[in-house]
Amino acid sequence: MTEKIVVTGLGCLTSIGKNVTETWQAIKENKSGISKIQSWESEEWEFALGAEIKDFDPRTLLSDRKILKLLSKHDVIGLNAVEQAIAHSQLLPYRETLTDPAEFNERTGVFVGSPGTKFHQQYDYLPLLTRAEGSLKQFGEELNSVVHPMWLLRTLPNNVLAYTGIQYGFKGCNQNIVNHSVGGIQAILEAKYALSRGIIDRAIVVGYDAMIEPQIQSYYAALGVVSPNGLKPFDEKRDGTILAEGSGALVLETFSSAQKREATIYGEILNGITTTEASGIFPIREDGSGLFHVIEETLNRAELTSQDIGFVTAHANGTVLSDAIEARVLANLFNSIPVTGFKWALGHTFAAAGVIETILTLLSLQEKIVPGIGTLQQQANDCRKIKVNQTAQTLQKSNALIVARGFSSVNSCLVVGV
Amino acid sequence: MKNKLTRVAITGIGMITPLGLDTHSTWEALLQKRSGVSRIRSFDASGFTTQIAAEVKNFQPQHFIKNKKILKSTTLPIQFALAAAEEALQDANIRPTSSTDKRWGVVIGSSMMSAEFSYWQDFHRQFAKEGQLDIKTFYKNSFNYSSPSEFSKMQSNTAVGLLAELHQIFGYAMSVHTACASGGQALGLGLQAIRRQDADYVLAGGFDSMINPTGVSGFCLLGAMSTSNDHPESASRPFDRLRNGFVLGEGAAILVLESWEKAKARGARIYAELAGEGNTLSAYRITDSHPSGDGAIQAIQTALRDANLHLENIDYINAHGTSTQMNDLCESNAIKSVFAERAKKIPISSTKSQLGHLISAAGAVEGAISALAIHHSKIPMTLNQENPDPACDLDFVAEGPRNVSLTAVLSNSFGFGGTNNCLAFKNPLADEVTL
Repeated sequence: MTEKIVVTGLGCLTSIGKNVTETWQAIKENKSGISKIQSWESEEWEFALGAEIKDFDPRTLLSDRKILKLLSKHDVIGLNAVEQAIAHSQLLPYRETLTDPAEFNERTGVFVGSPGTKFHQQYDYLPLLTRAEGSLKQFGEELNSVVHPMWLLRTLPNNVLAYTGIQYGFKGCNQNIVNHSVGGIQAILEAKYALSRGIIDRAIVVGYDAMIEPQIQSYYAALGVVSPNGLKPFDEKRDGTILAEGSGALVLETFSSAQKREATIYGEILNGITTTEASGIFPIREDGSGLFHVIEETLNRAELTSQDIGFVTAHANGTVLSDAIEARVLANLFNSIPVTGFKWALGHTFAAAGVIETILTLLSLQEKIVPGIGTLQQQANDCRKIKVNQTAQTLQKSNALIVARGFSSVNSCLVVGV
Repeated sequence: MKNKLTRVAITGIGMITPLGLDTHSTWEALLQKRSGVSRIRSFDASGFTTQIAAEVKNFQPQHFIKNKKILKSTTLPIQFALAAAEEALQDANIRPTSSTDKRWGVVIGSSMMSAEFSYWQDFHRQFAKEGQLDIKTFYKNSFNYSSPSEFSKMQSNTAVGLLAELHQIFGYAMSVHTACASGGQALGLGLQAIRRQDADYVLAGGFDSMINPTGVSGFCLLGAMSTSNDHPESASRPFDRLRNGFVLGEGAAILVLESWEKAKARGARIYAELAGEGNTLSAYRITDSHPSGDGAIQAIQTALRDANLHLENIDYINAHGTSTQMNDLCESNAIKSVFAERAKKIPISSTKSQLGHLISAAGAVEGAISALAIHHSKIPMTLNQENPDPACDLDFVAEGPRNVSLTAVLSNSFGFGGTNNCLAFKNPLADEVTL
């Protein structure tokens, strides 16, 4: 019998709120964070919508401003959620009471879902390319006078992991997962596995991403998955997703660790799994077999049946094909169980999505509501068999299932409970 | 409890390295004391402070990758990974079938480089001639410019997706990046996936190339690389007093990890058992570990515990050994701290002295070398350790490769950002009782 893995801290930074309370309130009020992109001149472009973090000011987001010069925007967003979750968990005041915190630190792990696509950081080389006038020799010679000496460190994909360790002294088992939109769920799952096998007692889990960059917007639009109009999951007018910025963080603990310090418990991580559908980088299987497989396996692992699930937080990214497949698979597996999603409000936060959506799913379970999909007006014919609603649905049970799908035909699924 | 864990066998190895385009030629070149380091040939590096690297030579992607669509939508480092994986599967003599495909997984330590340098040159020419993005020109042409095949090159998990597609793998899939620890972390995750029965077979490893103008620039700016441009072959000199930085390498190593029962049942050749992993954070600085070895110490101790090994079982350590002063000092101190008086008796070598530093691939390549060392009963050397650093007073196998039968081996990988990984390998013939 493995020990229960519980959630003892929550934090997030999203386009609809600068913390968990604000984000949850916005969800309940059916507010969306999607609007015209402000961080660059998007006026003349067809694909000008994004879900940006509002009034973004890095100096207000981190307690240690000295490290800002060594971080990217992505990192700041990620570390802000980490700070929130750790504060919320009250881990540090507890550590203060220990005579020797070394063991505590060594048995605290860090698991991160990190962004997989970044362009902006390379812009630092554009002035050098101009200066080099096509000569690589000149490029090399002028490098030091044009590019910041710490450039490489600012671009490290594992900065959030590294600084979570450095700032808090946590030294346990860790992973930095760069696996597109399943990274957040995978970070939760890898933390759960490490906790279950007893090599750590608690873990900080964080997912973060910042997808609002011109090149990213352009590539996703060219793939045909970005909407010029808005994100309307399962709606007959859905025509794509909206890219977003955001982060979410959790503190996970073994039940005995939480109990020992009398921590408030916000929920339980039951089980989950990741599988591929081996269909390439961008395509997904139209028969839904990959998605079916990952959900079925997750229920098996959690030793639950579909009847035990109160509602499903669907991937619900608003693209025509993905939503139709997901609706079909969920209808097959879950019959009349309520389904919702959060991307209509948050935008698609990619590596952050799994963690933010886990937080919102736990709050839904606690308050016994299934939040509505605010942009849903006319449920699409090819999504008609699932139970979705524009406003909140009622909820009886205490478990929910969360779905995440990513590029490279990877699917992850997680069951949580309260 | 430990005995009940599923054991993990290494049954296939594939490598593309600066010393060879397969496992056999890489291993032979290591034993022949050859260096893979030379002046950079793939671009004009004459203006850079560092002009040397360990490049993969004569790699012809079309020779390894027959699918033209995949060839077109991959970068060189991803092609290294695909080629190494194919060799590993052939070597293991097993592939996913319709009855086992859900029991196969893939775990890759992926390169941090996204778009290639040629992409940025082109982007600069079209949209940023003056050094800043001209957003209006970009909008006008963005659709013609943004091809999916180009985009697929830049995804951090492209290698995972392509390996799954090419080999029809339907189980666990993971892509990780913890800088220089990535490859080791990937092997560790593969081990865990089999132990917790997410998979019976895992393709696990890492790939990287930062030998391009921006990759080399990043390390030049930090002053982390050797500038011995006139003596490339002796530039990588781990644990040597005259070292002056690491030498960048490139390549890939992919291993077939297999549950012990499955491997035994089909009579597979087992190179070694992947017996344990330790994985910690230094929580000290981004680029350095604590000089005392703190962080690395706990990684090594955790790996030993995880593998159920005692100090006296370890008879070779494949060091991280980057040939930077801070790493070499920290690593020596970590080994001394863990092994106490036994530290001086354990042969330790850094194959980075011959291969350079393969960054995200390093841990996987060195894991493969550790398994080969057990399989062939041979310890590779540390090349160029001619003037032992008094602060690193251990046995670094400087005189040349040794013939020794090995019971258990450790491989260290420590990354920028403070992640420390240690893997433990056991001789498949070693009797559990004697350990």
